[in-house]
Amino acid sequence: MKNTYYLLKNGELRRKDNNLIVKACDGSEKVIPIETVKEIYIMGEVNVNSKLMTFLSQNSIILHFFNYYGFYSGSYYPKEKLVSGSLLVKQVEHYRSKEKRVELAREVLKSASYNIKRNLRYYNERGRDLEDEIKTIKNLRKHLDRQNEINELMGVEGNIREGYYRAWNKIVNQDINFEKRVKHPPDNMINSLLSYVNSLVYTTVLSEIYHTQLNPTISFLHEPSTKRFSLSLDIAEIFKPILGERMIFSLLNKNMINEDSFEKEMNSLYLKDSARKVILQKYDSRLKQRIRHKVLKKNVSYRYLIRLECYKIIKHILGEKNYEGFKIWW
Amino acid sequence: MYVILVYDVKLDSAIGQKVLRNVYKICKKYMYHIQNSTFEGELSRAQIVKLRYELDEYIRKDKDSIIIFKSRNERWLDKEFWGLEDDKTSNFF
Amino acid sequence: MFYYYFICKRKLWYFRNEIQMESNSEAVEIGKLIDEKSYKRDRKHIMINETINIDFMRNRKVIHEIKKSDSMEEASIWQVKYYIYYLKKHGVEDIKAILDYPKLKKRVDVELNKDDEEEIEKILLEIEKIVRDQKMPSIIDSKICKKCSYYELCYI
Repeated sequence: MKNTYYLLKNGELRRKDNNLIVKACDGSEKVIPIETVKEIYIMGEVNVNSKLMTFLSQNSIILHFFNYYGFYSGSYYPKEKLVSGSLLVKQVEHYRSKEKRVELAREVLKSASYNIKRNLRYYNERGRDLEDEIKTIKNLRKHLDRQNEINELMGVEGNIREGYYRAWNKIVNQDINFEKRVKHPPDNMINSLLSYVNSLVYTTVLSEIYHTQLNPTISFLHEPSTKRFSLSLDIAEIFKPILGERMIFSLLNKNMINEDSFEKEMNSLYLKDSARKVILQKYDSRLKQRIRHKVLKKNVSYRYLIRLECYKIIKHILGEKNYEGFKIWW
Repeated sequence: MYVILVYDVKLDSAIGQKVLRNVYKICKKYMYHIQNSTFEGELSRAQIVKLRYELDEYIRKDKDSIIIFKSRNERWLDKEFWGLEDDKTSNFF
Repeated sequence: MFYYYFICKRKLWYFRNEIQMESNSEAVEIGKLIDEKSYKRDRKHIMINETINIDFMRNRKVIHEIKKSDSMEEASIWQVKYYIYYLKKHGVEDIKAILDYPKLKKRVDVELNKDDEEEIEKILLEIEKIVRDQKMPSIIDSKICKKCSYYELCYI
């Protein structure tokens, strides 16, 4: 069983006796059994050295770094173990051919928007009146079928998200006053939460891509490799509603996160350390939540759904089976 | 599978010391050291086989004893702390 | 590779097209561990020309191939026959082979005859045809699939 580790304290992560050890500045320490590690999130200020990196590389362990304010700063993506030249060539072909690229990009957005609609329906069934918002998104989804340019698809996606975000004021029973998405820097609670949680989803997807032959920089919806591993951005779109946003609603509605969870600095809001921990714990257990997969006829975790998404994309690229994006089925 | 492993290594000689050191180091790669000679953690069946093979290299069948308690799931195991509570098995630090 | 030809041509295709799986199948991983452990003292895993991977050899004349169970015996026999064939083509004559089943305490002797050689040549051509095909062979839908590390990739 491989697990994700979250290091929240400041200190040092080292290799010792062919194992990992964290020494925190407060004097405490923890041994991390190497055989149980899938990836490590470094949330505090942690020293690492190249000896450690080599060791992590041998064990195919990814590191994700976040800065003092809780913003994602980058990942250590070890040398890939699974590489397929012939798949890479075909992955590139699916980017180069406009038709093929649009087909994949569209399917990504269709499943992402389906999952958004599913979130709205969930709350509609629980006493929020979201019929109008659902109708709007239904109509916009139909537009996706008609667009044949990436930027047009992106435009429709923007409209879907806009309608979705407006509904948040009804879904969340705190006064969130959420108008629009602002990123640099996040100006209110929701934007700050979204930035943090989206980067968690993005990094989880990246870790799953690492365990397949897909190349993380060649994407279809997003433009390849503008700063990030853009295939991760593509796939994250599909899982943000279920892994991220549903969790945000629940955290806010259970009052586990509220105004007190943030710190104001200049004109932006940051999550306090304690709040980050609450979110991480919730996120971690969400990834481990299991669901009966109707096709595979076995239980799989939410996290594994991402891996399966990678497999479906591989099969599409190899020309075996047309890609059908993940849609919440329960 | 959720596993609790306990060991008893006979310290009759320098060899005993060496066995003890290696058993401890090997277990530490797979599980959390929760008390003296006691480890605990979630392992797959394959990891258990691997752990066993690694330990087999060192333990003396006539002197050293290793016992593992296996449970299909951590949920089926009630754990209570009497006295000092220490969450060594957490994936948060 | 020869083994996959008999078990699952689809796996053969994936494997040769560099879509390999991390062993996320427990059965596969345990099998690998058993074979690493069982014959520690012999020279193990002799990879020749990146083509054949012999578990180990004794007396320079006998190839050993370790298997967990004999349920795929025919495939295993052809696999080692191919090893003998391959070595013969590279000038190593008079090789015999033994299939070892450490868990069953059973062994099977294998030799290569003239007919086998012809058969192998036919199969080799067939394999090349399969792996070069743009389209991969379809799912075999057998009860062995669930234990295969390709299960999720195949059935999703």
